[in-house]
Amino acid sequence: MGGRLTAGPALAAAGVAKSYGALPVLADITLSVAPGEIVAVLGPSGCGKSTLLRVLAGLERPDRGRVEENGQPVRGPSPERPMVVQGATLFPWLSLRANLEWGPRALGDRDARAIADELLDATGLRGAADQLPRQLSGGMRQRAAIAQVLANSPPLLLLDEPFGALDAQTRLRMQEWLIGLLAERRTATLLVTHDVEEALLLGHRLLRLSHRPATVVQELALDLPEPKGRATLADPRFVELKAGVLAEVLDA
Amino acid sequence: MAALREAEGDAGLDLGDVLGPSSDIATRRRLSGWRRVVVGLAFPALLLAVWAALSATGALSERLLPAPADVAKSGRDFVFASKRSAVPGVVPFRGAAAEHIQASVGRWAIGYAIALGVGLPLGLALGLSRWTSAAIDPLFQALRSVPITAWLPISLVWFGLGNGAARFLIFVGAVSPIVVATADSTARVPRQLVDTARMLGTRQRDLARRVYVPAALPGIVTGLRLGLTLGWTTVIVAELTGSSRGLGAMMFSAREVSRLDQIIVGMVAFAVIGLTGDLLLRAVTRRFTRWADA
Repeated sequence: MGGRLTAGPALAAAGVAKSYGALPVLADITLSVAPGEIVAVLGPSGCGKSTLLRVLAGLERPDRGRVEENGQPVRGPSPERPMVVQGATLFPWLSLRANLEWGPRALGDRDARAIADELLDATGLRGAADQLPRQLSGGMRQRAAIAQVLANSPPLLLLDEPFGALDAQTRLRMQEWLIGLLAERRTATLLVTHDVEEALLLGHRLLRLSHRPATVVQELALDLPEPKGRATLADPRFVELKAGVLAEVLDA
Repeated sequence: MAALREAEGDAGLDLGDVLGPSSDIATRRRLSGWRRVVVGLAFPALLLAVWAALSATGALSERLLPAPADVAKSGRDFVFASKRSAVPGVVPFRGAAAEHIQASVGRWAIGYAIALGVGLPLGLALGLSRWTSAAIDPLFQALRSVPITAWLPISLVWFGLGNGAARFLIFVGAVSPIVVATADSTARVPRQLVDTARMLGTRQRDLARRVYVPAALPGIVTGLRLGLTLGWTTVIVAELTGSSRGLGAMMFSAREVSRLDQIIVGMVAFAVIGLTGDLLLRAVTRRFTRWADA
């Protein structure tokens, strides 16, 4: 992937800093995501990854620095830049279908029903369309939560440890599903995770954060053969990258 | 929730029922369905039999508690006996059930409707706005601690003897649980849900209607139920305000002539109507809250 010269970055942050009271969380974050690119942000637990994502989503304001989307400053949350967090946030009183239709309806899109149909197929959840979220399994809910924000066809997606709550097998299936979905829709994605394998598997590029207050301490292009999937885990280049990143993480 | 739990004790609701299994209250294992029904009917039947036996042997004085058969007969007269022509200044009993129930339920309905009209918007404002909450909550909590009977004198001064004062008292009784439950459950709506709605393009001014209210509805319904029941228990206080019609009026008039049987008929009527009201409200609201059931 890499940045294409013809289009500016989908999302760019420069010198972003944020504190909660006396506690500095983000020290100085500069990053960008090119259109269609998947950037994996790897960081230890509690390093401020979630804060970074909330700032990028426009849910929090940075103390210093700029966040721009397609050259425009980010001023608040937007359907162009939705975030999905661990432990999915579907609306519990609505059926799965109504959850998927929420975004298009909020934006006045008359094709809400057709969009929901398409996403029900893409998530393999058509049979569960009329179920309430609590009737779905954790993996189904997480897929549905991602599909819910994709219903508005955002150019950029922010994912905060989206599969952290799932068991290892389910997580791998979900990762493969997400890789396919994002490639097909060419949705630029910034994914935050503490899992080295997940970062390497999903990302085109990896940014490693320091302990709190966070800065970017390593940037790495992930030159792995496409399409990526479970076979990638045994690829010699993947094994090599993983060993290198793990060594950095453990020595940090 | 602490305030709610207190109110719940007053209203005699089943906590487990209202809060659901997700509440942090330890629950005993329950008897299976048919056993509960059988035991639940058998125990009152046993009490009734003991009562009847004690009355028959003369061990229980009629002046303390009339025999069940006498109460039943009075109940029948209350409902079915042909009406006598009204005597001015006398509260009728025979055949007057419909009249009294209509008067009491009518006051209840109007007082409760006003409590809904005031309590729901006020509760939402308290739950949604920190400024409103900071401004109004202390005053509201203070007023809430004034017992309902302490409102009686002032309501008589304001509204005089009659329906106005009665409706006002029922309103006062019903409004607090509605406000508390609405404010509390609105304030507890998870931030994630609100964030998600905003990131899906929901406009700021639609958040209350589309996110806060539906998400808070199970808790709001709890308040509506408590308010309905508390409003009903307030009816009897309200009917101290010089009504000549109403179940409470009938019971006070029966006390003046020491008709214990009639008083008990009134108590039974209170129980049956209160329970019916709660069941109706649950039936009406059930489809809005089912998603939160276990």
